[in-house]
Amino acid sequence: MRAQFVFQEVWTGLRRNLTMTIALVVVVAISLSLLGTGLLFVKQVDNTRTYWQGRVQLSIYLCTTTSASPQCKQNGPATVAQRNSIYHDLTALRSQGVEAVYYESQSQAFQRFKKDFAQDRSFSSLVTQSEIPDSFQVKLRNAQADYPVVAGTVAGRPGVDNIVNVQSILSNFYKLLDGARNAVIVVAIILVIAAILLVANTIRLSAFNRRRETSIMRLVGASNFYVQLPFLLEGIIAGMFGWLVAAGLLIAVKTLGLDTLQQYFPYNVRLSLADLIEVIVLAMVMGVVLCGVTSFLTLRRYLRA
Amino acid sequence: MIHFDNVTKTYPNQSRPALENVTIDVEKGEFVFLVGPSGSGKSTFLRLVLKEERPTDGKIHVAGKDLARLTNWKVPYLRRRIGCVFQDFRLLPNKNVYQNVAFALQVIGKPRRFIRKVVPEVVDLVGLEGKHERMPDELSGGEQQRVAMARAFVNRPMILLADEPTGNIDPATSIGIMKVLDRINRTGTTVVMATHDAAIVDSMRKRVIELEYGKVVRDQSRGVYGQAY
Repeated sequence: MRAQFVFQEVWTGLRRNLTMTIALVVVVAISLSLLGTGLLFVKQVDNTRTYWQGRVQLSIYLCTTTSASPQCKQNGPATVAQRNSIYHDLTALRSQGVEAVYYESQSQAFQRFKKDFAQDRSFSSLVTQSEIPDSFQVKLRNAQADYPVVAGTVAGRPGVDNIVNVQSILSNFYKLLDGARNAVIVVAIILVIAAILLVANTIRLSAFNRRRETSIMRLVGASNFYVQLPFLLEGIIAGMFGWLVAAGLLIAVKTLGLDTLQQYFPYNVRLSLADLIEVIVLAMVMGVVLCGVTSFLTLRRYLRA
Repeated sequence: MIHFDNVTKTYPNQSRPALENVTIDVEKGEFVFLVGPSGSGKSTFLRLVLKEERPTDGKIHVAGKDLARLTNWKVPYLRRRIGCVFQDFRLLPNKNVYQNVAFALQVIGKPRRFIRKVVPEVVDLVGLEGKHERMPDELSGGEQQRVAMARAFVNRPMILLADEPTGNIDPATSIGIMKVLDRINRTGTTVVMATHDAAIVDSMRKRVIELEYGKVVRDQSRGVYGQAY
């Protein structure tokens, strides 16, 4: 009885100010999906960061027979002696920030290359093993501070082709993602405020529309909870509809946006389904809390006995 | 059942109190007319009984409860023991007779089976047999007031407050309304009726409390409306 009665009241309320309800659902949907998108960006950046942090931060490529740089052309491919001396010097830097050093041979590098560019057969099939240089992969304790020391030790030595600071390449990418995330979150916050005001207004309108019912409910001794519940549920249900739309949009953002972006990266930092579900659940909690709390506070002002 | 002990009520921004040092005792099962000109404090009295207003001074006991000590969240439970009828009926226009009466039980969470059993009985008791499906705008004023009385009585309150229930109804129909109120009173429900209707008061010969400028000027058992009018 109670449940059926309450839901009937809720349904009437939502239908009676349909336009407000639609506006509410749309604004909640957009603000939640933007918030969720911001969270997805955060996760994407985190994923990328942890992917790279666990890996090499400095690659020292050695000269091969096919190296194009002038110094390699001049000195010829790196000899075993040169290689050993570079390795020796790098390991000697352990006390100055080098955490790990390992040598990647041409065949290892080629295997990795084929794996990374597996999605792009036209590219990987054109390259042969001899074109892939061997290298020293160095992991630094502190990528920013230790880079100059390590780079200075090996730069320009015979047999060294070039040194690549992976962090500096990535930092641009991080900046791009961070900027996008911040923009999305700012817009989301503005929309959340709009959503809060809209919820308050919708509930107020609904309370006004049903002032006859509520005054009679009070008169015959309905408890405050019973008087307020339909309105509270109205706000929450509108919020849930908004969340459903937002969930759809977030799935689209992931599959059509971030996952498509993924194709351009040779490494796999694709967000998992669990990440997406986490964000969607978080958006739901946000939506319910936002609508519920706002409705409740509005009701306290407009439904006082 | 209703005890006012030296009650004064002054509304904010008003110099003259709406009720001043009013002491009234209404016992269980009584039928009381509350008479007096507009602004004499009749409605304030009823609002105080419902705890819609708080007295500025004095003590009020209703159904054995000290209203000053009644917490806000318990007020609804007090109101479940008090039925109310108004001059303007206050029915829900989009619900039929049965639904209007059932509403009062639905919102206090009564089980459906109970509602199905009790509502038709009460609707019949107020004399609306065969009109369960009518909408309020299909009923005469007298019939609408009967629906309101059914709604007020359906939860078997200890007290029924009626604020000028015949104010919008012609004298002939009013007699029917009074018969229903009398029938409700005979079940043991205390009835307090505020009214301007001299003919009704005179014909019923019940207790009459007269208010003037917020003071009790007359309290008579088996009284009449009053010589002054």
